[in-house]
Amino acid sequence: MSFYAIGKRTARKDSVAKVTGWEKYASDIYLPNMLHARVLKSPFPHAIVKKIDTSRAEEMGAIVVTFKDVPDKLFCPRLVSTPDATYKDWKVLTDKPKFVGEPIAAVAAETEELAQIALESINVEYELLEPVFDALESMKEGKPRIHDKIMLNDKIIDIENNVACRLELQEGDLEEAFKRSDIIIEREFRTSRGYHNQLEPKVAVVNPEPDGGLTIWCTTQTIHNTRLLISEIFNIPVSKINVKKLALGGGFGSSIQTNIVVPIAVALALKARRPVRLAYTKEEDMHEHSSYQMIFRLKIGVTRDGKLTGGFMENIMDIGAHQIQAYPLLGTCAGWWVSLYKLQAIKYVGVAIYTNKIPSCAYRGYGNPQVTWAVETIMDELAEMLGMDPIEFRLKNYVGERDLFWGQGPTVKSIIKSCGVEEILKKGSELIGWKNRPKPGEQKGRFRRGIGMARGYHTSSAGAPIPSQVIDYSGAILKVNEDGTVDYITGLVDQGGGTLEAHAKIIAEELGLPLKNVNIVAADSQTTIYDVCTHASRGVYAGGGAALNVARQVKEKIFKLASTILNAYPHTLRIRPDEERGQAVIYVEGLPGKEITLGELATLARIKNLGTIAAVDSFRPPACPPHFTGYFVEVLVDTETGIVKPLKVVIGADVGTVINPDLAEGQLHGGFIMGWSRAILEDLKYNEEIGDIECRGFIIDYKMPTAADIPEEIKTFFVETYEPTGPFGAKGLGEGAQNPAIAAISNAIYNATGVRFYELPITPEKLLEKLKEKEGRKLAVEDAVKLT
Amino acid sequence: MRADYVNLVNTHTVPVRFMYHSPETLEEALRLMREYGGEARVMAGGTDLIVDMKLRRKEPKHIVSLNKIRGIEYIVEEDGGVRIGANTKLRSIEKNSIVRERFEALYEAVRSIASVQVRNMGTLVGNICNASPAADSAPPLLVYDAVVKARSIDGERKIKIRDFFKGPGKTCLKDDEIVTEVFIPYPPGDSASTFFKISRVSMDLAKVNIAILVKLSSNVVEDFRIALGAVAPTPLRIPKAEEYLRHKPLNEENLNIVEKIVSEEIKPITDVRSTEWYRREVSKILVRDALNSTIKKLVRT
Ligand SMILES: Cc1cc2nc3c(=O)[nH]c(=O)nc-3n(C[C@H](O)[C@H](O)[C@H](O)COP(=O)(O)OP(=O)(O)OC[C@H]3O[C@@H](n4cnc5c(N)ncnc54)[C@H](O)[C@@H]3O)c2cc1C
Repeated sequence: MSFYAIGKRTARKDSVAKVTGWEKYASDIYLPNMLHARVLKSPFPHAIVKKIDTSRAEEMGAIVVTFKDVPDKLFCPRLVSTPDATYKDWKVLTDKPKFVGEPIAAVAAETEELAQIALESINVEYELLEPVFDALESMKEGKPRIHDKIMLNDKIIDIENNVACRLELQEGDLEEAFKRSDIIIEREFRTSRGYHNQLEPKVAVVNPEPDGGLTIWCTTQTIHNTRLLISEIFNIPVSKINVKKLALGGGFGSSIQTNIVVPIAVALALKARRPVRLAYTKEEDMHEHSSYQMIFRLKIGVTRDGKLTGGFMENIMDIGAHQIQAYPLLGTCAGWWVSLYKLQAIKYVGVAIYTNKIPSCAYRGYGNPQVTWAVETIMDELAEMLGMDPIEFRLKNYVGERDLFWGQGPTVKSIIKSCGVEEILKKGSELIGWKNRPKPGEQKGRFRRGIGMARGYHTSSAGAPIPSQVIDYSGAILKVNEDGTVDYITGLVDQGGGTLEAHAKIIAEELGLPLKNVNIVAADSQTTIYDVCTHASRGVYAGGGAALNVARQVKEKIFKLASTILNAYPHTLRIRPDEERGQAVIYVEGLPGKEITLGELATLARIKNLGTIAAVDSFRPPACPPHFTGYFVEVLVDTETGIVKPLKVVIGADVGTVINPDLAEGQLHGGFIMGWSRAILEDLKYNEEIGDIECRGFIIDYKMPTAADIPEEIKTFFVETYEPTGPFGAKGLGEGAQNPAIAAISNAIYNATGVRFYELPITPEKLLEKLKEKEGRKLAVEDAVKLT
Repeated sequence: MRADYVNLVNTHTVPVRFMYHSPETLEEALRLMREYGGEARVMAGGTDLIVDMKLRRKEPKHIVSLNKIRGIEYIVEEDGGVRIGANTKLRSIEKNSIVRERFEALYEAVRSIASVQVRNMGTLVGNICNASPAADSAPPLLVYDAVVKARSIDGERKIKIRDFFKGPGKTCLKDDEIVTEVFIPYPPGDSASTFFKISRVSMDLAKVNIAILVKLSSNVVEDFRIALGAVAPTPLRIPKAEEYLRHKPLNEENLNIVEKIVSEEIKPITDVRSTEWYRREVSKILVRDALNSTIKKLVRT
């Protein structure tokens, strides 16, 4: 298919503002008469506040709020699930902190320095409770209770053994499937906790309005859910709360929920009757959210000819001290698992466990990178046991076109309509030199080369043909200006990946507009219709679908209006971009002269009082089609230091139609680097003595690779597919871009060294230890041979 | 133990009240140091000090900045070595041709520190005065037998670099002393030196760092100096290893023994960056790698 705007490499509309520092993020918002806030946090992982004395802070003139001043109401900061699947265990400020860093009180003063002094003057007496830092420990009988009673929707529920929630699924006859199997493999996997390290730490600026309402500028992936939640907590009518849309410095899932800074700043602003700015430092941000640690037990059967039979998966998740979206995550993890490869029978047990750690939330891939790591490790092992090529083995079993797809868990099912898996694997293996890869574990010498691969996918949105437990729809407003440009008004937040740029191209394509004629205009929750959130790789697919939906309606209206003016039937009209005139031109095919530019048309409409051409509509994506990716990674292992270097990376992707090629490649590059980091570096380890993360929130001790650490060549390619339900055939990419990375890297390390890892990250320390163990044992065997 | 730092640290500001002094002469700076003594801190580039203050590891009441003092920013050859002033930025050292040609290990060490931005601010003198066990410039300065010049109102003191470090964050400097320069004697002719570092990512403090200097004479080691960092409370020379290898041929057997001595002489700990075991293991391989690389340099010239 040939496109005019889609697929072209163009400079982003926001690029100048971004590179010059002109772009406005939440932290750039300063209001006259504004106060600056600081939050008092628990220095203990599990405690009860016995006494709190804020008098000195108040004497200094600071505004102070404590747990006594906020609504005594449990809530869930994330409103993506339907109410019946929403577990509530949060309070704005608490008197029973459950992790180091949990907010207890907050102050606001004329400057941040004064707020800091006021904060330090608050005296708190704590009663200490025993903390627990390990999920498997925490769920044992007799452990300290982290939560007593929480709420599911509007029902109070009891928490036993720190089990936050659970989900069990079963399909088919697993016993029979295992009986039919020639090989059954069973492994336990343990992932690490990671920190999102999005560039922008959380910020909220709140302005109390004279009518009792609020205007809010904050770090968020969803302006509409933010206003719904603030309304719910503070009992302020939704319509009186306006949340402004701003540029976002990345999220990676950490702002799907409304960040705690927002309700805290609201509480302060309501009390002060003045604007309040609360900006977290990086250190505070790292005490606000992390990824989930998952402990999987995975058992899979296969017949001798390489057909998978059935599988069992246990997923124990350490969710930290609060639920953000543990329950839906239990569902998606099952979904990620069963939608990778065809299993005739499955059993899944998912349990989410509370610990006294920083609360976990979605982190790029929402469990998929972890599940894919486990499954793709096992697929690699099984292929070797069967003596089959790992790629051939995968092709024999993968879930592809026309198969049922579980997308975002058991309640979100649809049929796959586009799939480029085969092509990805074929081309990727050629580009990496798969045929010439070393045999696992056969190399000698200090430096060993290894090639590993893994494949995966992610959903594009959480859409489905029928309602599910996940809310997923978007909406947009499109209006034609008198100069022939259009204003695109959407509540959908661009996390920085260029989602709205893609929408602009979709609109330009549909309306035959020069790209520059699509204005992405300022928006807020008052002037837009509902969009759920920019997450689940839905920005281009679902949000772009909404943009296309209104563009089509606008086009129809344009033709209707133009038909009277050009004296032609609406259905005979066409529209094309005229770059020279800088306009869209509406014309009748084959009849020169029968044409009018969009600007002329809109102007005429005004003079003749015919109205503004505009459309507003919501859009529900009918499916959540998987976008597929394949990773091929070549590494070099230094067996004397355990240091692994990436030599060459090849990533193939099927995202349907590629709308922004540069940005799509960027997603893949970033996906690899993030995956590399999660595979070999990142781990928010706990220091049980202080009850806090070992790095104490200091980024200097939470390392991530920089440009100097990545391979010179990351080769990316896109295979051609067309998703019939997507805007101009497009699907998502953000999460699939990373999902198989960890697995491919760990398979490459195995290929180089013969050492398998079932625990992340694979640090040089761990790798060296395993290598010494292995080679040591080998030596011992050789010695034994000599002796006999 | 309580994690009070979650409330006390505020990296948006410097959450410490202090007086900032910006004297224009060294004499004035020395006078201020005498006056405020233990309550004052010298500041050069501030890339360690300001971070420490933000993290409340240090809460000085007075900061005496060296920034406005003229005449202490230089790299000059003199008296059989090179003198580097207290205000001299790491970036200038890395760009200096004498350093690059004659002090390879120092050049390699400085280049491995942080990023260009930080090296544009930070100084060599600040790096050693901060006395981190992992300070990257320390192992090279140790193998070159550098001399630290410190001044107070009472006069100047010359301190051998080997005597300078006293523990993590501790030097032998008195409260009122300011280091004015580091003097680095030329290494012996026909010798070569190398710096290596293992870290979590390329921009990071070391898990282990090492500098060695070798002079060969007809395949026998004539001079051998070795220093490691991040493996003990201070960066340290390993005299036992040096003595062992001197006047011996560089062969596999001797190399094994040197590695063994090094791994026995260091006292690494487990911390956020690595483990005791790992540090000991890779110290051995670093000795080997650094030697290999140095021999290559000798062969080349
Ligand atoms: C992002 C980042 C990365 C870094 N990476 C590295 C790295 O890889 N390797 C490494 O070794 N370091 C690293 N550092 C630490 C730091 O940059 C260096 O130690 C630098 O050399 C310090 O120099 P400075 O001039 O900034 O010192 P300052 O911060 O000004 O001073 C440091 C200490 O020395 C004292 N001091 C300074 N000058 C004098 C003087 N003339 N007399 C007496 N006392 C004095 C100060 O009082 C203070 O205690 C890093 C720092 C940052 C922020």
